[in-house]
Amino acid sequence: MSEVALRISNVGMRFGGLWALSEVSFDVERGSVLGLIGPNGSGKTTLMNVISGVYKPTAGEVTYGGKRIADVATHDVCHLGIARTFQIVKPFASLSVRENVAVGAMYGRYGAKRSTRASFERAQELLEVVGLARVAERPASDLTIPDRKRLEVAKALALDPDVLLLDEVMAGLNATEVEEALDLLRSVNARGVTLIVVEHLMKAIVSISTSIVVLAEGRKIAQGAPADVLGSPQVIEAYLGSRWVKRQEQLAVIEAERIEAARLQPPEAGA
Amino acid sequence: MNPATLKRIGLGGITGNPIAFAVVLALMALLLAIPLTHNGYIELVFRNILMYAAMAYGWNLIGGYTGYVSFGNVAFFGIGAYCSAILATHGVDNLLLYVLLAMAVSAVFAAIVGFPVLRLKGHYFAIATLGVALAVTDIIANLDALGGTGGLALHQVDEAHFSIYYYAMWLVALGSMLGTYFIARSKLGYAFVAIRENEDAAAVLGISATRYKIVAWTIGAMMAGAAGAVFAPANGFIDPSITFAIDSNVFPIAMTILGGIGTVAGPFIGALLLAGANELLQRFFVKAHTLFFGAMIVLIVLLLPRGLVWLFGLRGGARAWLKSLSVYKA
Amino acid sequence: MHLIAQDLVNGILAGGILAVVALGFSLVWGIMNIINLAHGAFIMLGAYTTYQLFTSFHVDPFLSLPVSFVLLFALGYLIQRFIMNWVARAPVLTTFLLTFGLSLLIVNIALNVWTGDTRGVTTAYSGANFTLGDVTVPWAKLFTLLAALAITGVMQLWLTRSRTGRAIRATSMDIGAAQLSGVRVTEIYAIVFGLGAGLAGVAGTLISLSYALNPSMGDLFLVKAFVVCVLGGLGSVPGALVGGLVYGIVEAFATQIDVTVGGQHISGSGLQDAIALVVLLIVLIVRPTGIMGKATA
Ligand SMILES: Nc1ncnc2c1ncn2[C@@H]1O[C@H](COP(=O)(O)OP(=O)(O)O)[C@@H](O)[C@H]1O
Ligand SMILES: [Mg+2]
Repeated sequence: MSEVALRISNVGMRFGGLWALSEVSFDVERGSVLGLIGPNGSGKTTLMNVISGVYKPTAGEVTYGGKRIADVATHDVCHLGIARTFQIVKPFASLSVRENVAVGAMYGRYGAKRSTRASFERAQELLEVVGLARVAERPASDLTIPDRKRLEVAKALALDPDVLLLDEVMAGLNATEVEEALDLLRSVNARGVTLIVVEHLMKAIVSISTSIVVLAEGRKIAQGAPADVLGSPQVIEAYLGSRWVKRQEQLAVIEAERIEAARLQPPEAGA
Repeated sequence: MNPATLKRIGLGGITGNPIAFAVVLALMALLLAIPLTHNGYIELVFRNILMYAAMAYGWNLIGGYTGYVSFGNVAFFGIGAYCSAILATHGVDNLLLYVLLAMAVSAVFAAIVGFPVLRLKGHYFAIATLGVALAVTDIIANLDALGGTGGLALHQVDEAHFSIYYYAMWLVALGSMLGTYFIARSKLGYAFVAIRENEDAAAVLGISATRYKIVAWTIGAMMAGAAGAVFAPANGFIDPSITFAIDSNVFPIAMTILGGIGTVAGPFIGALLLAGANELLQRFFVKAHTLFFGAMIVLIVLLLPRGLVWLFGLRGGARAWLKSLSVYKA
Repeated sequence: MHLIAQDLVNGILAGGILAVVALGFSLVWGIMNIINLAHGAFIMLGAYTTYQLFTSFHVDPFLSLPVSFVLLFALGYLIQRFIMNWVARAPVLTTFLLTFGLSLLIVNIALNVWTGDTRGVTTAYSGANFTLGDVTVPWAKLFTLLAALAITGVMQLWLTRSRTGRAIRATSMDIGAAQLSGVRVTEIYAIVFGLGAGLAGVAGTLISLSYALNPSMGDLFLVKAFVVCVLGGLGSVPGALVGGLVYGIVEAFATQIDVTVGGQHISGSGLQDAIALVVLLIVLIVRPTGIMGKATA
């Protein structure tokens, strides 16, 4: 058996009166691809936030290589080798696409050893890998949504991670683009990077994952090999058809934007 | 054209428009010749411009590059001025020592105060910095050892060598400008901008917002402190109302925004324009100069909401400019 | 003992004015995200309106309250409609600078109209006061406090109950959604800015009863407005009141400090701002969104 990279034990996360996650436990093996699925609002993004140290869990813990993530400052999580993308993309709008990625290369895991120039070279390589070299000089604010997703992936890769968390990076891509994205993830994984992939598109998840965890209302309801978890392809078609996927993607965007807005909102008038 | 694109046009990269920077360097070289006019008034005007430029550069690092709007940078200017005054009253008569001590004390003070204050965000940070500045003013005004509200007089060099203050201020401004240029291009500059654009995203990329905010704030404090250190002996006298004047607080901010926020050329261009215009208006309109000065600021904001540096990168002439005017309209 | 009671009363009386001083500033900042540096100039105009009505027509200062409000509201409305609106969606610093320019301009006009001389509004009841036990209460300040309380109450009711008030609150929460549901944002913004100016005018009137007037009097109150509105919580009406009272009381007690440390005599009367600001810093560090502000994640 291969070694455990990430251990999620009894993680609970509460927002006000709502438990977005409760008693979630599973291990992620090094070098594997874990598919994380569940309906919109089931807590996938929240789990990503806990694993990447953006949120401290209300209960339980996430350990990586024996270290508790909660004990590590958010800005040091990537130095352990964990990188993530944001479902609601967060480009540095006034910087160019290449500069966006270079920032990751400068301050990520091996950033201290890289000169500014080497960081830009690394950024350029990664832009070619994700297919953004054509817009390298453009301000990030000019990018289309699919390109912004690619930029998220490139920034995360610039951190030279061992574990990469991908939150709906394929939402909004067309069939060919999804194939390209899957090829990219396979090649990243082939270099030994452990992947945790959140995606609504079942075909994509099934084709890339070595195992799948299913969340519903913040609880883990199933875990195992893709085939075992999801049963026959017919079932997938029936319950998780393309209309369902579209709807889930739309809901996910709306929900994530709502959370983002709530987080950023100043105290309201007369509150 | 959306606001984000507008923001980018003409600002060309993290140091801003290169042509604008070249123009500013050329202007700086010309300013070296000012003392040759042997005109005390002109020298004073330009020394003030250089002083404001240095303060604007200091503010630009934290307010422009890092996106933390500070209303407290005047505290560092005042602390710098008082450092000179204290050394002077102890018989030290060395401008270089004044500047070095001022930079050191400003930096230490900024770092200590920065720890609690820079944890605050947005509005709360702005208010807290204002609070720091006002508190420092009040405390100094109440310390008899520092002359209280009565202030302190400093020994000045004799008239023949008076231009030394001008050249010193020129060096402080140049140092602030070049410092900004090299910092902006370095890894540090990218950390500042990443924090400004999105602190969460910056953190996930390995940038400790607290650490780099304190760095930006501290370096900016050193620039303002150095300007204060030269100002005190050049002026010959300081008191809390001179060194912590509201103008010294708001002017550098106004200059940076009018010139071009988050660029290397902007603060200098803004200082030249605002401090220069202020002097001219004062000369020609004794009673109504702030009226014209205020109207000028209003007009520039309406006509060039992204600052003057933006003009250097404008493509498409008057039509593009006219189109840009309504970009921010509600 | 009686000193403490007197300080408390002084603080509350001053705090009432501070609440009104901060109210308009806080609404404009909280709702429109505009740091209005012309707020102090508006306060000054309100004070001079009262002064002019009093000296030329013997209008009682309290009767000039509505006049100050209406005049300043109109001024604020027009400024927002025809000037500020051009940069309504610009970054906060752009409007910040614009209001700085406006403030210089307004103060200079006032300087030319009224000169820089210090003036005062002295009514028949200006010096009158009554005593409660050991505590002296000036009538003018008591009325000022009552007026301040009434104004804050009316504002809170209007914002929460009236149609326009609700539209304003909706706009501050989500501009896009408000627009979709038929709110005319330009109009709402003009009303809010007018309201901010009108309240500044009212504050100016109240101030003119107890403080001396000169064209640059607004600066001091602008700084206090800044502090009070953040102390209480941005954009919050009850917050402005609480913030004003806290600030007033802290300041009043600070004046009583009188100690000697290591030969250095420290008297609170010069340090009251510093002390009040240190309290502010502590509040912010403990509660980073103000006393009444909603805690955010
Ligand atoms: N910062 C937050 N504040 C309040 N509630 C939140 C926050 N983040 C997530 N939630 C809530 O937690 C639940 C799970 O959200 P999320 O993790 O985004 O789901 P998913 O990514 O699976 O769609 C939702 O009910 C959401 O409203
Ligand atoms: Mg999600």
